[in-house]
Amino acid sequence: MSGTRTITIANRGGAAYSVAERRPLLDTLREQGVDLPYGCRYGGCITCAARLTAGTIDQRRQVALNNRQLANGYVLLCVARPVTDCVLEIGVESHGLLYRNPFLDPLAPHELKPAIARPKEP
Amino acid sequence: MGEACCGPGYPSPAEAIKAPREKLLYTIAIYTGTGIQKPDYLATVDADPDSPTYSQVIHRLEMPGIGDELHHMGWNACSSCHDDSSMARKYLLVPGVRSNNIHVIDTATDPRAPRLHKIIDGAEIRAKTDLSGPHTVHCLGSEIIISFLGDARGEAPGGYLHLDKDFEIVGRWEASMGDIPFGYDFWYQPRHNVMISSEWAAPNTFMPGFDLEEVGYLKYGRRLHVWDFEKRVPIETMYLGEDGLIPLEVKFLHDPDSTHGFCGAALSTNVIHFWKSDDGKWAWEKIIDVDNEPHPEWPIPVPGVMSAILVSMDDRYLYINNWLHGDMRQYDITDPHNPKLTGQVWMGGLLGRAPEVNGVKVAGGPQMFQLSLDGKRLYVTTSLFSTWDNQFYPEIRTQGGVMVQIDCDVDNGGMSINPDFIVDFGKEPNGPSRCHETRYPGGDCTSDIWL
Repeated sequence: MSGTRTITIANRGGAAYSVAERRPLLDTLREQGVDLPYGCRYGGCITCAARLTAGTIDQRRQVALNNRQLANGYVLLCVARPVTDCVLEIGVESHGLLYRNPFLDPLAPHELKPAIARPKEP
Repeated sequence: MGEACCGPGYPSPAEAIKAPREKLLYTIAIYTGTGIQKPDYLATVDADPDSPTYSQVIHRLEMPGIGDELHHMGWNACSSCHDDSSMARKYLLVPGVRSNNIHVIDTATDPRAPRLHKIIDGAEIRAKTDLSGPHTVHCLGSEIIISFLGDARGEAPGGYLHLDKDFEIVGRWEASMGDIPFGYDFWYQPRHNVMISSEWAAPNTFMPGFDLEEVGYLKYGRRLHVWDFEKRVPIETMYLGEDGLIPLEVKFLHDPDSTHGFCGAALSTNVIHFWKSDDGKWAWEKIIDVDNEPHPEWPIPVPGVMSAILVSMDDRYLYINNWLHGDMRQYDITDPHNPKLTGQVWMGGLLGRAPEVNGVKVAGGPQMFQLSLDGKRLYVTTSLFSTWDNQFYPEIRTQGGVMVQIDCDVDNGGMSINPDFIVDFGKEPNGPSRCHETRYPGGDCTSDIWL
């Protein structure tokens, strides 16, 4: 059906939901009973982060994730809209790579937030 | 001032010290960022040693929604309206840093079981004032100002929300933010027409977590700002540089005639002392410098991370924490230029000096604290901020926070862990939660200002 996408939640037994492509996944999944964490609801904090393992998401409004978190597949559901059908891991069980001790494991210049990251050295 | 007796608070700091001992504590406890899909709540802790429920959570007021991240809070009224018999210290204002909601909680009708009085909706605050990321709450006579760290999109510097005594939005308090890049804490001293504000970072920077690299990109603060309090404009900046990286809590001495105050620079782990010099200019100096400590697994020494400071009501002692090291310290500041270390205790932390306190494994380190008005009991909690906790102390997710009582010797100096008191928030009915700021029904050492 045009205008909808199928979202599969890998860590909820592969449950699948049909959602509107133009609305944030936090809203469309919660409306169908998926229990999701959230905080700021504008893409500025990472409370609602989930991990995208297949598909494409438009999250151009997010300002909180750094390039390493983005490379690891994290999406902020409060501003994420599905471009294609997607597979997600949700909740804090998906946050294994989201948090790191910044002193033990610092970011390289290209891994910073997109607004301040430098291009990766060849 | 002086003989008035009908409004909230006390006529002077000396009178506040003589107030009855606190028997109830209010502390916020969070589930935001923990994986437990429950609202954050205001916990009432029984602090009366003669009570059968001493050292236990005796009531939990849940917020209506999830994801607030309750953090700091403040009273609707304090000693600054002691002369106003129409006012009472009845409501705690409890903001959600992430949701932007301000919860107004009635603690007077039943002090053991506070109830929600009103919510100022976060979206309404965003729409009407272009503010997000609420932090410090101070009352201002019969009105209230709250520092916000961002604009509606989470960008610095934010500003100040002005509420009237009925908790209606008046608008922005400040006339101008000048060229201030960041906001955080503030304290004012009306007899000198001055307010001092400090700098954390934009919500979009600190809410996702801490990155050292972003300090280098000047995404975190390193200045203090002096305000003309009546004109509500910043008039002077104290650039602290490397000595003052991430200057957080600001406290003046309680004596309303004094211009001496302190700020804890969290990342530099220094105490900055500021005062108005004889020539009328504001001066500052670094008076305490906590050395970074080696750690077997760290490539660089561990900074203390001094996230909070507190001045005793008699202005004699300054208390500081080192959240990553795990110690609380007491300094005699009789001479504010020359503090003397008079007490130190360990609880949690990364250095492994006190992994357990009173039989409870401590996840996190000493973080927020509140001192009794008589200066003898310091209640300390261990969680800083959900995302930062998750970075430095991931075990706090399953262990939760703890509240510890430190007994303070006000005559000779010295601190010791009270063996009879510990509140383990790892054992909460809905699962491990994290406790943060604490306040007492009768006022405390970080709430009251005298006109």
